Amino acid sequence: MAAAGLDPTLTTAALAALEAALNRALALDPAGQRHLAGLAGRTFAIECTSPVVHVYLQPGAERTRLLGYYDGPVTTRVRGSASDFAELAGASDPAATLINGNLVLQGDSAPLIELQGIIGRLDLDWEAPLVNVLGDVAGHQLAQFLRAGFSAGTAASSSLLRQLEEFIHEEARLTPPRLEVEDFYGDVQALQQRVERLQSRLERLRKRIRSAGQ
Amino acid sequence: MSDKRTTHFGYREVDEDAKAGLVANVFHSVAGRYDLMNDLMSGGIHRIWKRFTIELSAVRAGQSVLDIAGGTGDLAAKFADIVGPTGRVVLADINESMLNVGRDKLLDHGYQGNLEFVQADAQYLPFPDDSFDCVSIAFGLRNVTDKALALRSMLRVLKPGGRLLVLEFSKPVNPLLEKAYDSYSFRVLPFMGRLVAGDSDSYQYLAESIRMHPDQDTLLGMLEDAGFVNCEYHNLTGGVVALHRGFKA
Repeated sequence: MAAAGLDPTLTTAALAALEAALNRALALDPAGQRHLAGLAGRTFAIECTSPVVHVYLQPGAERTRLLGYYDGPVTTRVRGSASDFAELAGASDPAATLINGNLVLQGDSAPLIELQGIIGRLDLDWEAPLVNVLGDVAGHQLAQFLRAGFSAGTAASSSLLRQLEEFIHEEARLTPPRLEVEDFYGDVQALQQRVERLQSRLERLRKRIRSAGQ
Repeated sequence: MSDKRTTHFGYREVDEDAKAGLVANVFHSVAGRYDLMNDLMSGGIHRIWKRFTIELSAVRAGQSVLDIAGGTGDLAAKFADIVGPTGRVVLADINESMLNVGRDKLLDHGYQGNLEFVQADAQYLPFPDDSFDCVSIAFGLRNVTDKALALRSMLRVLKPGGRLLVLEFSKPVNPLLEKAYDSYSFRVLPFMGRLVAGDSDSYQYLAESIRMHPDQDTLLGMLEDAGFVNCEYHNLTGGVVALHRGFKA
């Protein structure tokens, strides 16, 4: 992680800790790890502009590496602020976020979208490490309890989001719904094209009148 | 007056011919507890310094790497993981005891096939010209009798475009840190050495040899004098350690 002005010891230590945590998490989702192995040999450059941090991510068959310095060819380079990256990480449609968001993309976008999808779909199995520590019965019970709590939390948060969205769009009419906005943008774009065409016709007409008058 | 050339061994002036033997005795003595002492002395930070070295080496699959003064094989193991089965890593050390400890450790961890072990003097490397994509030497250069000769030897075995990485103790950039570091080196290190490795003299030599080693800019000049190009260095932990990098044109 090349961060402006910081001692490389600090940034390297932070990256080492992050890499260890990431690989430990990936080990809890063998399917996700397998999908990630499909991206082996690619290098993703993540350049955060605020705060200034550069990280290179290299998925591998056994380990995913995080590097602060990398001299080789990069598959995809993404540049943006921390909030732009957070938006991409949580996006349900990453391609749309890349096109409409503030992130600047260089290189091949397909592997990046694939990577975002794999990370988004990670389904960590907490049961295995719990069983290793607590034994079969207690580990399984605790894992079930955690799973139930987690799924109840997810359901509650998605229901809250849905209701909030409905209230903002339909009841309070604070903002128009997404489809309406997209339709409006489509109309604006069509109008812009028509105006441009009309402008060129007028220009042509003006030239013809000018040449007829001479 | 003796016409024999002398060099330093810690703070002592000794005949050039004698230094290699004296350094060998130090490492024969500490080889068994070398990894443990490294972790204790640096608080584990030596692993972070080595990780940074690996990053800057830019080594890739299929490449060949020479790790000089490789000791117990920390860097060589990481390089072997990166170069993969199509690559080649040579762990070289002048000291038989260190090489034996390193070889046993790496073989026990399942490293074989792309890893070779060679007892070699950094000043007279027994490899053909243009053999390696990368040469590294971590915490070894200060023990070499003729550093300029060793750097020229490393340049010779590098392929054109190949890079040398020298990770070595250096001069702290902050005077306060330097004072704290001095106290630590001359009071705590020998005590720790006596306690853990049963040998305080070797760790007294370690502290003295660090002070006698060229500082960042002097070593940078030595790399350039040896023929390396695009030379640079990075201070780590406030300059307690510096990583120098140079390329063969």
